[in-house]
Amino acid sequence: MKLDPKVLARHPTLGALVIAVLLHLAGTILIDGYSSPFSMRAMLVLAALLAVASIGQTLVVIIGGIDLSIPFVIGFANVVAAQLTGQGVNFVVVCIIVSALAFLIGALNGALAAWLKIHPLIVTLGIGTMAQGAVLIWTRGFPSGSAPTFVSDFVSIGGSMGPIPLPGLIPAAILLALAITLLMSRTPYGRRVYALGGNPLAARYALIKPIVMWAMTFALSAWFAALAGVLLLGFTGSAYGDVGQPYLFQTLAAVVVGGTSLLGGRGSYWGTLIGAVVLIEINTLLIGLGLQPSMVQAALGAIIIILVSLYGREPHLRTTI
Amino acid sequence: MLKRFSSTIAATALLVLLLVVNIWLNPGRFAPASWGALIGLASPLLCAALAATPPILGGRGGIDVSIGPLMGFANAVLVTGLIGRLEVTSPPLVFAAALALGGAIGFINGLVAAVVRIQPIIATLGAYLVLTGLTVTIVPAPTGSIPEWLRSLSQSFSFVPVLLIALLWWAFTRLPIYGQLMAAGSDDRAAYTAGVNVTAARLVSYILAGAFAGVAALSLTALIGSADPNVGPTYTLLAISSIALGGVSLAGGRGGLIGAAIGALDIFLLQSVLTFFNVSTFVLQVAYGAILVAAVAFTPLQDLMMARRARR
Repeated sequence: MKLDPKVLARHPTLGALVIAVLLHLAGTILIDGYSSPFSMRAMLVLAALLAVASIGQTLVVIIGGIDLSIPFVIGFANVVAAQLTGQGVNFVVVCIIVSALAFLIGALNGALAAWLKIHPLIVTLGIGTMAQGAVLIWTRGFPSGSAPTFVSDFVSIGGSMGPIPLPGLIPAAILLALAITLLMSRTPYGRRVYALGGNPLAARYALIKPIVMWAMTFALSAWFAALAGVLLLGFTGSAYGDVGQPYLFQTLAAVVVGGTSLLGGRGSYWGTLIGAVVLIEINTLLIGLGLQPSMVQAALGAIIIILVSLYGREPHLRTTI
Repeated sequence: MLKRFSSTIAATALLVLLLVVNIWLNPGRFAPASWGALIGLASPLLCAALAATPPILGGRGGIDVSIGPLMGFANAVLVTGLIGRLEVTSPPLVFAAALALGGAIGFINGLVAAVVRIQPIIATLGAYLVLTGLTVTIVPAPTGSIPEWLRSLSQSFSFVPVLLIALLWWAFTRLPIYGQLMAAGSDDRAAYTAGVNVTAARLVSYILAGAFAGVAALSLTALIGSADPNVGPTYTLLAISSIALGGVSLAGGRGGLIGAAIGALDIFLLQSVLTFFNVSTFVLQVAYGAILVAAVAFTPLQDLMMARRARR
């Protein structure tokens, strides 16, 4: 198959997939043990964590918004879950409390942005800052506690499910991806999200309620961010309020590398999933090549720009008239 | 005229209120004799907010989130490279270097965002990562020292960086390209069909952002007195919050540097009030988030209530 750049430009998800495969081949050739079972499992777990955190960003971007509160909600859920578990609260109750709070934060984000037509970037930034600050006040900046062992086992790189040498997170993430894809392509909710993102005015004439839809979508986004926060608690072992910080850029990058346009109305969660794999491949490759963390960061920034310029460019203005 | 500034009214009212509270709480710090040091404290954020504004005015998601890291990068390069290694300390040369370095990086941002047409937030987040990474590589820990004249930019001559940006911007608004940028920001398709070179206008807005960030870096350097890899990046979110607070539409085409400056002063004065009460940084964070949301919600809420009253 000849890889014409124009084909990739029309099918950005395919482009991301090709890049992921090429990156993996490059890693296998350049770095000893890159395709070893342990390294593969580590990459899968990291990619799955990023993929979960990026679900919300994908939905929010498709509806035409952006969610900067994801890193704050991840940190918020991470600390609240650890703190409550540490105080001996039943884990089911912990999950209910964290879910309810996350839904509330997200719904507030979406409703305020859609009702008052404030840019979601500012609303999510403000609300996210407040949520994280509130948790810091509550814990006085020193969160304690840890995740129940079954959460740690669920996300552990060395974990296994019976005969399958993979932690439960991997199949769960794949099932989740299927569910999200069904939600977006086969339910009225999903079609309404695409309709609102594609053309808000036309969506109004189709009797789609923007405020309700935005509140629901941002609530989902916050909930998945909270889920990622709890999973990260199991992954790192202890609570850390800033654990979500890298995810601000990474969720956005996963969405865009996966071919979803930040202008809304186009894209898919499959793309984001592949985008998450691409990001983790790049990261692993750079660390494997022996770069310092700061240089890994710099190279990651440059590589993402180059990747997106290959197949994620915006159309020229003259084509939109 | 009133309509044009209505979105800045909330921020201006907040500014007056915060000024009164600050002067009442802390007359010594706000006395005319200490204005130099006071402006020096506020200046890096003020300059950062001014720097982040031009790309936003250009519309279609235009934004430069690399402003903060660019300030940090320029701070590191100027202090360790230009002043430390090359021992260039003459004020005109240092100012020229700051403007050129910032403008060059702004040019790259503009190429990626406006010419290659990668969504600006991704393009400049990429630059954010690159600049942060490079800064930490050049200057792993705070180091270096600065000449006395540069230090005075945070004391008696603290008005110079802001004044320089204001003059540059004023000169820019005299040029036709300013009108073209605003036209592109309010409706880029209409502007394009009317023959405006939208790409060029947006490219220039990123160059301006970079050059202003270079000036902001001088102000920051004067304040901290060394090269520090950790300070710069924090300014990005503060600058963008300032702009939103000041009533500049993130959709582009509306507002200007005055709104951004008022928003930045609001945030600075708010921090000043809260630190006077010695509250923890956590409370500061919550208050800051709340004020941000409340301030940006104020104008649309007012419009909604006015519309409702008109219907009755």
